Amino acid sequence: MGRELVMTREGAQSFFGRLIEEGPVMGPRERISQPGFVMFDWLDSAGQLRLKYTTTTIPPKKAFFPPRQPLFEFESSQPPTITAVQEATAFTLVGVHPCDLAALEMLDDAYAQEPAEACWPAARARARVIGVDCLPDEYCFCFGFGTCYGREGADLFLTPIGRGYLVEVLTEAGGGMLRLSDVEDATDADREQAAAFRRAKSERMTASIDASPAEFADILEEDDFGELWREVASRCYSCGSCNTTCPTCFCFDIKDEFDLGLTGGRRIRSWDSCQLQEFALVAGGHNFRRIRWQRVRHRWHRKFLYLYRDFGRPYCTGCGRCSRACTADINIVDVSNEIIGRARGRA
Amino acid sequence: MSREEPIPRFGHKPQVAFFDFACCEGCQLSVLQLEERLLEILGHVDVVTWREAMTEQSTEYDIAFCEGSVTTEEDVERIKRIREQADVLVTLGSCASGGCHNELKNQWSMDEVRRVVYGDAADTISTIPSRPVTAVVDADYRVFGCPVSLPEFMTVVNAMLTGQSHQPPNQPVCVECKLNDYVCVYEMGKVCLGPVTRCGCNAICTAYGDPCQGCRGLMDAANIPAMLKALKREQAHAIMCAVVQRHELSDDEIAAKLRIYNNWPEFDLKEAQPDDD
Ligand code: SF4
Ligand code: SF4
Ligand code: SF4
Ligand code: SF4
Ligand code: SF4
Repeated sequence: MGRELVMTREGAQSFFGRLIEEGPVMGPRERISQPGFVMFDWLDSAGQLRLKYTTTTIPPKKAFFPPRQPLFEFESSQPPTITAVQEATAFTLVGVHPCDLAALEMLDDAYAQEPAEACWPAARARARVIGVDCLPDEYCFCFGFGTCYGREGADLFLTPIGRGYLVEVLTEAGGGMLRLSDVEDATDADREQAAAFRRAKSERMTASIDASPAEFADILEEDDFGELWREVASRCYSCGSCNTTCPTCFCFDIKDEFDLGLTGGRRIRSWDSCQLQEFALVAGGHNFRRIRWQRVRHRWHRKFLYLYRDFGRPYCTGCGRCSRACTADINIVDVSNEIIGRARGRA
Repeated sequence: MSREEPIPRFGHKPQVAFFDFACCEGCQLSVLQLEERLLEILGHVDVVTWREAMTEQSTEYDIAFCEGSVTTEEDVERIKRIREQADVLVTLGSCASGGCHNELKNQWSMDEVRRVVYGDAADTISTIPSRPVTAVVDADYRVFGCPVSLPEFMTVVNAMLTGQSHQPPNQPVCVECKLNDYVCVYEMGKVCLGPVTRCGCNAICTAYGDPCQGCRGLMDAANIPAMLKALKREQAHAIMCAVVQRHELSDDEIAAKLRIYNNWPEFDLKEAQPDDD
């Protein structure tokens, strides 16, 4: 862990104000038309920033990969032209919780697999990241997943304490940002308050998956849960919200949009979801996960088995967004524990 | 940008006619609201018949835009004639494309419907169960929505002019709702049909915090039993519980909600299948 400093509440206000003056800043802010609901969005002033929030519907990965992203524009002139849509502006992403920091690192790994994806690392290279610690709600289960106290990928990390924030300086870029702020050295009392905050975090966490990632992967590999998948599927809409809200989901679809009369257009990629019926539809009309339970099973296998084997960690941070978003009450912790319970009952 | 040479598919600048059947004509009105973009389309086609927008009429046309539902025997003959004349038939709006509130009347006998609506004149009026245009003739393109979504209308016109097919989207509204990062209206205490409704409107209702009423009809493989359970509180997490407790929907109310736009073909809640195999 790097240097520890303290930013007072007022100090933080002026720091974020200066940061916003300096360049684009995305962070959690209250929605204008729906007060009380926080979303990641570009900030106009420090007053909009809500560093104390439980979670957001859409994770902060949208800063690097917008849900709908133009890749290039083309004109069908002679000769045809293609112009890449390239964002070049550096920006700062603030207010990222530890689970979401972990998700960014998972996506770094996923997109680096050959053939490597180019847009994600380019966007990541443009950004500085400021993390902030949080307290869980009944859907969070990051504790058992080791993402609860992660700092990976953050340049600065803030922990709420009585007089403001304990600031961990994790990178040179993070240290550089602090020239915009008035910081003080942390006292033992500040450190103790930060430690108390972290203890409260784990103590308040009520949800957890009852097996280690390794054991859960083994259980899923043995998969003999046809009945359970069908039960879950009978309730599932295949609406995809559990994927479109997930910080570690990385699938996308690519489509061309044409201007009238085929004079030109643009290529757009947008977030996709393996729960949608057409996800696994291929040329010729074959759909290799046409039936709903196959898609439900795929989500669990993907997150807790295949990617666990590929990358050595489950592709789930325990953020609970999928359970919160599911209007059919399919809760990732409940279903996972049901699987684990049935597997152990059988053994 | 307008294109001077004829559209390849037709070999000449195609002639377009708009026709309406039983409906509110809101879809045509929406198309007129395209304004500048409409002028762009007019660079590629000649409109020869459009009662809502012009006085001239023609019996010769290549493309027919048909709006509304078929509710009389005369309508049946008329839409068949249009289909014979037109090379390309596009249905405009849910009334024509898959079913809309016109089909609500199909719950009663036609005699009863005539009596309620026309009173003493009932015997002089004929009517048949209401049905979308697509239940009588094949459509080459369908634009859903009540009224149509204009971006989708433009996409379909574009596909048509360039001779490509267009598959109506077959994902639920939730996808567009989430990709726009809107707050789920269940969290605001409202009951939404988005999880079973065909998207393509870019979740325009939930954008404003209003629930989806299902105006684009059910998507294929919509899980109706799940929707019923959700609305009847048999399955619901904390957020949903708060909502459904407030609404206390009875079976009839749930059915009525789902029925507003989904009465064609006969909509039977009990027959609905949970799985999509
Ligand atoms: S959010 Fe729920 S209903 Fe929708 S696809 Fe996921 S599990 Fe199924
Ligand atoms: S699977 Fe669910 S809990 Fe896990 S990271 Fe994705 S949204 Fe969060
Ligand atoms: S679909 Fe709706 S807006 Fe369009 S004509 Fe029918 S009732 Fe009117
Ligand atoms: S508001 Fe409606 S459409 Fe949007 S996510 Fe919620 S249920 Fe789906
Ligand atoms: S959100 Fe629902 S009701 Fe609103 S336009 Fe879309 S499909 Fe129709």
